[in-house]
Amino acid sequence: MSSIRWLSPSRLLPGINKAASRRVGLWARRRQGADGPVTRLQPRRIYILPTGVGLVFALMTFAMLLGSMNYNNNLSFVLTFLLIGVGFVAMHQCQRNLVGLEVSFAGTEPVFAGQAAQFRIAVANRSRSPRHRIRLYLDEVQSDIGDLEPGESRTFVLPVKTEHRGRVTLERFGIRTLFPFELFRSWAWLHMYPTGIVYPHPAEHAPPPPASQTALGHRQHDARGEEDFAGLRKFHTGDSPRNVAWKAYARSDQLLSKQFAGADMSSQWFDFDAVVADDLEQRLSILTRWIIDADRTREDYGLRLPGRSFPPAHGDAHRRQCLEALALFGLEGADG
Amino acid sequence: MAKTRGTDGSLLASLPWTLLALAFALLPHVPYLPVWITTALLACALWRYSIEARRKPVPPTLLRAALALGCFLGVLYTYNTISGVGPGSALLAIMAALKLLETRQRRDQFVLLFIAIFLVMSSLLREQYLWSLPYLVVGVVLIMTAWLRTAADDAESVRRSVGTSSRLVMYAAPLALAMWIFFPRIATPFWAVPIDTGTAISGLSDTISPGDISALSQSDAVAFRVNFERAVPEPRDLYWRGLVLHRFDGRTWSGISEPRIASDAIENTEIHGEPVSYRVTMEPTRQHWVFALDIPRQWDLDNTFLGPQHQLARVHPIDQRIAYDAVSYPEYRIDAELHPYRLGWYLELPEGRNPRTAELARDMRAAAGSDTAFVEAVLAKFNREEYRYTLEPPPLGSNPVDRFLFETRRGFCEHYASAFTVLMRAGGIPARIVLGYQGGELNPVGDYMIVRQSDAHAWAEIWLPGAGWRRVDPTAAVAPERVDAGRTGAMFDGSASAWGLNAPSMLLHNLVLAWDAANAKWNEWILGYGPENQQRFMNWLGMDDPDWRKMLLTLVAIVTALTMIISVVLMLRYRPPRRDRAARLYAEFVRKSGLTPATGETPRLFATRVQRDSPLPPTAVRSITDTYLDVRYGPPNAALLERLESDVAAL
Repeated sequence: MSSIRWLSPSRLLPGINKAASRRVGLWARRRQGADGPVTRLQPRRIYILPTGVGLVFALMTFAMLLGSMNYNNNLSFVLTFLLIGVGFVAMHQCQRNLVGLEVSFAGTEPVFAGQAAQFRIAVANRSRSPRHRIRLYLDEVQSDIGDLEPGESRTFVLPVKTEHRGRVTLERFGIRTLFPFELFRSWAWLHMYPTGIVYPHPAEHAPPPPASQTALGHRQHDARGEEDFAGLRKFHTGDSPRNVAWKAYARSDQLLSKQFAGADMSSQWFDFDAVVADDLEQRLSILTRWIIDADRTREDYGLRLPGRSFPPAHGDAHRRQCLEALALFGLEGADG
Repeated sequence: MAKTRGTDGSLLASLPWTLLALAFALLPHVPYLPVWITTALLACALWRYSIEARRKPVPPTLLRAALALGCFLGVLYTYNTISGVGPGSALLAIMAALKLLETRQRRDQFVLLFIAIFLVMSSLLREQYLWSLPYLVVGVVLIMTAWLRTAADDAESVRRSVGTSSRLVMYAAPLALAMWIFFPRIATPFWAVPIDTGTAISGLSDTISPGDISALSQSDAVAFRVNFERAVPEPRDLYWRGLVLHRFDGRTWSGISEPRIASDAIENTEIHGEPVSYRVTMEPTRQHWVFALDIPRQWDLDNTFLGPQHQLARVHPIDQRIAYDAVSYPEYRIDAELHPYRLGWYLELPEGRNPRTAELARDMRAAAGSDTAFVEAVLAKFNREEYRYTLEPPPLGSNPVDRFLFETRRGFCEHYASAFTVLMRAGGIPARIVLGYQGGELNPVGDYMIVRQSDAHAWAEIWLPGAGWRRVDPTAAVAPERVDAGRTGAMFDGSASAWGLNAPSMLLHNLVLAWDAANAKWNEWILGYGPENQQRFMNWLGMDDPDWRKMLLTLVAIVTALTMIISVVLMLRYRPPRRDRAARLYAEFVRKSGLTPATGETPRLFATRVQRDSPLPPTAVRSITDTYLDVRYGPPNAALLERLESDVAAL
């Protein structure tokens, strides 16, 4: 109903609305304080306002009231009052639909800068009645709408755009419902500030990792060793051009890398100081790219950062450790 | 111009309900709407539904605009106007039909539901029967169910939707009742647009032309209902005075065109004997006349006055059902003195019309010797000679009184009253015709009297010097049973077989009476709950000197209280589920330990802490914890539960 949507205050006064909603937000934050990881929605923190449809409904019932008074028509009084009563009840029902819900942060996965961090928020209904049409939102971003049966817990996802590496915080978010008749919108603000890790953006055009940097010293040969030819595998960005099987390429049009079973295959090191780049972020980007590529081939790799190093290994935990170190490098004193 | 897009079937969950709500809201309008509008709405509903079901695009804008224009012109052509309940509801129905065709989004249906609400409202403005209340309640439940499904993104089960909306309407009912009782009613309207309901209202006509109409309406419609405070007066006193006709042009009798106030009407009335107090609930007539027994002395209706001929009239026409208390005196003497100018009014006869009647009157007056004897002689003539009472008399032509008196000799009250009055005037006695109702049927079910349109009556009044106006009912001379016996009597006593009536129709008649009694209560208490009734009800509730402020305050207080109750009911609905027995016993144990488990602390960790920090025996703590864990997470085991209970009790 376009005409009704037009009546919503945010559409009529976008500028004022923005400033006002900021102030209201600050006021609510002061009033409520920060929330713990598991927050039960108490009635006093649930706000409610009529929607556009609700305002039209109110206008209509008012017109009906005037009409009933004019004609002293007792049955249209009944109709009018019944509708007004329904409006009243809908208001309470709308607010009750949120009261007592348990909201908790259910984690988020690390992302690379530029991707959206998916914050998972669990909402649990520990009551005897179902909750209808609950949705989480963050400014303009909305989660799916979900119903919660008694005892049910459901996870909603709020995507948060990221731009820089480091930690991303889910700022104040809200939980809201329009149930039952979309006449009222009731909502609660949550200040949990859960955070997630944002890895540096992997460089698109990274130079190949410098060869032969081992834990023991600076060998001239490739870290993977070239003692015994072990086979061919698909070329990955970052593979040394010296290992490319050019003959095979000429035959099959496919870039393949030669693999060698060497004693120090596991000792490739990515050294922060060895990266040639313009600035810090660029450097971290390149390191990120190297780690991703190395992880993809299941090779062992080590990471050496100023004041901190991770000995060569492979696997998800190792990858995570390394990327996290890159993500937070220079940002948090404790980690430096 | 909006682009025509295909539908995606997303309205299939809510659209049928919206259509159902619209159809239900339209139901009472169907008899009044032209067939083409009902058909158009039905066709649009089916069309739109099949579009949605087959995922077709909605019709293009141009087609819809053409349809809209066509329908609007159609309404204009059918009604010649667009104001009033009839054309208004026709337009609403058309709007609904057209809106249906352009409904693409789920939320567009809100407009349709608003239209449905207005359709219900306009049907209530048109008619308020007993069934109108269930109609509006079911209508609201249907509309709110459709509303719920429109507001929902996904399809929920029909049962749940209907359950939720009925529950919410049920919560709203006490609020509505409180508001209905305490919302202050006002007597004067804001804007005085009479509702043109389109239904015919039968009442008395302002003129009579005996001989023109060849049949009298035998409508069973109720004119008014009367509750007598004490005994019901004798049938011969049950003359409900309406309007007075004194001008005669040879064919048609008419009275004063506009009701007038006569300041001396009360002064000119002497009253004797016992008063009769009663309450009249009158159906709308769109006329000014207010009916009361001869002769009214008190009435509690605003802007209502006694006219120069002692007819009671209200300044505004009676557009709605009204109720008033009145006191009348069956023994009276009015206008003992009459100004010669006025006497002239009541003696005037048109020149050259009904010559035989005039001649007869002069002869009879001369033969009688006195005015009273003359009156008696005329009544005796009606009684003795071959005059018959019939509801279907033949037409009478240009000298209707002559033809009636000397040729046809058949007629009903108007004919006799007219002929009698003309005879009186020709014989030199001032006379006039009174229109009103006579008699009425006592309804034993509700202990009140029903006066119907078929009780409409015409009688005469003659003026005699010193005695004033005296009522003479010439019809009574011809058909005494028309006056003396009530309607039921006429129908069922003795003449029953003649009318072809027997016991079953008597039973049916009693059912009709019971239904009428229910309607009377409905009219009095529900529809008639206006300023006076509200005042009375407030007094009965114990409110001193009720005014709108007090009522509004009470309204707010009660609504607040009810809202709190609803809030509590909702809170109970949403309370946490009852914990199972094991959990309750464990909680008891925790209470006895005097410690509080921290968030995330398992029962075992907690037990360790209890063993360390509380005076409870460590073995008991351990055994209770183990039993609790077994009961809670193991298979059901009644014996373990018993042990847990006794262990906790033993602490």
